[in-house]
This record gives sequence, C-alpha cells and structure tokens, in this order.
Amino acid sequence: MEKKLSEMNYEEEGRVKSIEQDLKNKVAGMGIRVGKNLKMITKHPLKGPMVVEVDGSHTSLALSVAGRIIMEVKR
Amino acid sequence: MKKILLMGNPNVGKSVFFNRLTGANVIESNYPGTTVDYAKGYMKVSSELYIGPCSKCAEREENTEDFEIIDVPGTFSLEPKDKAEEIAVKMLEGEKGALVICVIDASKMERGLYLCLEIIERGYPVVLALNMWDVAEDKNMQIDVEKLKSVLNIPVVPTIAISGKGFKEVVLSIKKAASVGVNEIMEKVGEIK
Repeated sequence: MEKKLSEMNYEEEGRVKSIEQDLKNKVAGMGIRVGKNLKMITKHPLKGPMVVEVDGSHTSLALSVAGRIIMEVKR
Repeated sequence: MKKILLMGNPNVGKSVFFNRLTGANVIESNYPGTTVDYAKGYMKVSSELYIGPCSKCAEREENTEDFEIIDVPGTFSLEPKDKAEEIAVKMLEGEKGALVICVIDASKMERGLYLCLEIIERGYPVVLALNMWDVAEDKNMQIDVEKLKSVLNIPVVPTIAISGKGFKEVVLSIKKAASVGVNEIMEKVGEIK
C-alpha cells in the first residue's frame, strides 16, 4: 500500500518509494533516499515535525517535507 | 597559517575533537546543534611522531607547522537548510585552501559519508575520522577501514574522541591529505559491484 510519509502511523514501517525531485538532495544528507526502510517514531502536535528512524538513528522532518515523500507500506 | 576545518553531521563529536586537538574548552553537550557559531584554536602539526627528550630539537622544530583549527557547526549536507548549516557552508566556501577533517559517526556511516563526499567533490583535501568507533563496535558493526582508504584514497582513521583513541594518527595524517577526484572514487565504487 502506498501512502505519504506524513500519513504514517506510530511504529509503522515502510520503504521509500519516491521523493519529489527538488527534495531528493535535501533529505539525502539525512540518509533518506529511495529504497530505504523507515520507521515512524512520533509526530509532534500542531502540525509539528515528525521523527523517523533511519539506519538505527532518529531524525526529524518537517511535516511539509514528509508530505512530499511517498512510502510503500506493508499490507 | 594553514587552516583546518572540522566538519561533520550534527552531534558526532566535532567539539570534543576540537578540544582534544587544541586544548581549548568549548562547550560540549550530547545534543545536536550545540555549536551554532564557530570556535577557533591553534595546534602544531608534524608529519613524524617525536617522543621523549628533545634530542632532535632542531629537526622537530623544522618539521612542525602551525595550523589554525576551526570548529564548524554540524551540517547534513552542503545545501543549507537552516542558519547553523548556512554558517557551516559559508565557512567552507570562504576557506578555499583549507584542509578538512571530516568527523563522522561510525555507527551512522551513510549520512556521514554523504557529507564527506560532497566536501571531497568541492576539491578540499580531507582526512576522514570515523568517530564513536566504540559505539559502532557495541552495535556489532563491521567497518572495513582499509577498503574505505583504498576507495576514497584519503586517510581514514577510527577514533574515539572522548577517550582520545586515534588522535595521534589523525594528526600524523594531516600532511598526507590531498584532493581527490570524485570520478576516481566513482570508478572504484563501480568495481566493488
């Protein structure tokens, strides 16, 4: 199933399917690229940033950024 | 005076590195973004190790060179996303002749190498320090340092900044660092597959 990274639920895991072109280089420095497995750790209230796990480390992303990353989620 | 920039992702230990190399005492904490401005310090670098009484004082003096070391705020890439990153990138761009010690978290190699490659790509001579080596060991990660050295063609040194492991080698490597073409690296990476 496909969904935006910003729509992922707590503890949900998935694989990065696509990233908007102009965002690719920005998130690559954080270890996020197509094919990477991510786990959603938490979302902050009031449209605050979300925290995801990449390669065993946590990194935070603005919700607007997460909305431009498409994930492939199991089931 | 030649300059050395300490660069790397946020929260990998650049400031601990800086304090160890210069004997300074800048604030360190276990939170990303502790260094938002920069700090400068000085150190003497020689290509050989001299231990014990000063029997070859003149030679030692001759082989030693003063360097200015700059502790740069952490950044994930050279495309700045916030003020601290902007400072980091501007500092790098403003120091065209500088050498860079790229400090990366050995347990988070991928994103560290991303930044490191960006710096190499811009033509700076780089020494790569795989910091937090103990953390990577605790996580049972196996890192082939020799292979990294041969692929990147730059000095690569495992370090533990808080205990001081690897610092002698880092300092001795400084004079060996030279610019490398990214195309050469890409060719070697291609061979691995």
